[in-house]
Amino acid sequence: MIRHLFTLIWNRKRANFLLVAEIFFAFVVLFVLGSLLVDNNRKYTAPLGFTYEHVWQIDMDPNGQPISRQDATFQRLMQHLKAMPGVRSVAATRSNTPFSFSDSSTEFKAGSKSTSSDIYSGGDDMQDVLSLELAEGRWFTPRDEVATRPPLVISQEAREALFANEPALGKIVRTQDDQEFQVVGVLATPYRGRGEFQELKPAIFRRSESLVDPKDSTNFDRPRLLIRVQPTATAELEQRITKEVAAVTGGWKTTVTTLPEQRATRMKLALAPMGGMVLVCGFLIFNVALGLFGVLWYNISQRRAEIGLRRAIGATGSRISAQFLGEVMVVTTFGLAFGLLVAAQFPLLGVMGIQLPVYLASMGLATILIYVLTAICAFYPSRLAAGVRPAVALREE
Amino acid sequence: MNATTLFSAPTAAPSTRATAFQPVIELRSIEKVYQTKTIETVALNHVNLVIHKGEFVSIMGPSGCGKSTLLSIMGLLDEPTAGVVEIEGRAVQSYSDKELAALRNHKIGFVFQSYHLINDLSVLDNVELPLLYRPGVSGKERRERAYAALDKVGLSARTNHFPGQLSGGQRQRVAIARALAGRPELILADEPTGNLDSVMGEEIMELLLGLNRDEGTTIVMVTHDEQQALKTQRLIRFFDGSQVS
Repeated sequence: MIRHLFTLIWNRKRANFLLVAEIFFAFVVLFVLGSLLVDNNRKYTAPLGFTYEHVWQIDMDPNGQPISRQDATFQRLMQHLKAMPGVRSVAATRSNTPFSFSDSSTEFKAGSKSTSSDIYSGGDDMQDVLSLELAEGRWFTPRDEVATRPPLVISQEAREALFANEPALGKIVRTQDDQEFQVVGVLATPYRGRGEFQELKPAIFRRSESLVDPKDSTNFDRPRLLIRVQPTATAELEQRITKEVAAVTGGWKTTVTTLPEQRATRMKLALAPMGGMVLVCGFLIFNVALGLFGVLWYNISQRRAEIGLRRAIGATGSRISAQFLGEVMVVTTFGLAFGLLVAAQFPLLGVMGIQLPVYLASMGLATILIYVLTAICAFYPSRLAAGVRPAVALREE
Repeated sequence: MNATTLFSAPTAAPSTRATAFQPVIELRSIEKVYQTKTIETVALNHVNLVIHKGEFVSIMGPSGCGKSTLLSIMGLLDEPTAGVVEIEGRAVQSYSDKELAALRNHKIGFVFQSYHLINDLSVLDNVELPLLYRPGVSGKERRERAYAALDKVGLSARTNHFPGQLSGGQRQRVAIARALAGRPELILADEPTGNLDSVMGEEIMELLLGLNRDEGTTIVMVTHDEQQALKTQRLIRFFDGSQVS
């Protein structure tokens, strides 16, 4: 019977061409969208490398205070905040805090290997603030202030890129301008500071406790802190921090946000285009489904005599239904075959820069979805076909 | 009831008339009424009819007298409003759709005025069609039986043609070959020459007569052509849903 269905569809290829084309385009749209969704899901479910709950970000505006005095004020402020009840740890940081829209990356070399890595700044308490796990080595300490070479803590991706399977601890790493750093710690996980939808990428932390670069006084930051607060902390603590900052700094302006808030903003911006795409795609697929439904319904009304004949020569109603469903499945298979041929070009040509397993999963998902969609669309017309009364259908022509 | 237990496996057509007078199909007190909200139309009124094995029966009557309805009921394509249809002594009114389909497939072959060939299938595929619905028939056997049926109707050279490439007479021959491929005991022909010119009509009639004469195939034919009807063994006349002779 399957051979019969293929023969029938093949012999009706001109009539079925548009249906095959419709299924082909629906598949390609679903495949592309599916690839993006599956890829984003893969990113979303991968570890962030840090925790953001109960972490507050304090951005300060020195309000015209001379740069030469800002660093001392900043150090004093950190000591005061650390001593506050409700505050667990305080770390200085720079603009590219977790979930921020600020990026910083640079090229690092170790021997013959090099990698472009995201670079983050973290104070001595940053490990506790962000619950960073170390696989080996240590985090920064005040003793690093006098180290010969500035210390670095690198992520697993950076370790693999720079040292492959060799030990990384104690190794010297250089930037493009030949500044030397020494690896003192390796994170146990990746670190994805831009949030859940960031692609895995080497990440490197350098120590930062001061606002002004000790080797380049023209390179300075606006004061910014990350604070891990006790889980019981409330808005009352926020008010106290604001007052404390104002009291210690002599008038710096303060903005307190939480990392969960920053994450929510980042998520909204990441999810909005995806939601839009899903909506547009859903509308397209709905139209395809309506089209399929209409075409199948029309086909059946055009083939009533054939249905009557098949019933007369021994087909049961359910067999007729199965035949029409089978025909749709064969047409779908032709459409999918062309679609898969096109989809296979995506990983071969590296079109969207997505990994092969994601493409394969999307092909599988889109294939299943299209089969389910066409089966749903064909179900009712096929049931109608099964209900055609042969005596009437045969007399109609 | 399992459809395959309803009847014996299909066998080759009988070579002698020894089986004559065995009823192939029997209709008892058949009534068919078409009912709408406002009107009731009696298509068949108390019809009693027995078709014996090896008979060639023709049914005549004016349009709308119930001939085709009768043929549909004999072919198990339609249910009577009242009465009993018996195939080989068994009443079929309690049969399921599956059992009726199996009976149609094994016992009955249909030939229609408008051929009812599937235009997108080759001649060979069209003839094979009834065997597709018969479990246990291999692809090879289907081909062989289809070729044999086409040979019988003189179309073995047209197996790969499509219906659209054939004349009306050739199409009707294909339809007859399709009916023969299943080796049925009964062929129901609904105005088989109705769409053909007299020469082609004559050819088809000769083919049916030959099948009945040489192979012992039981044939019931609805026709408007008195000359052709007179060539059959029995002529039944219908008028207003009733058998008048």
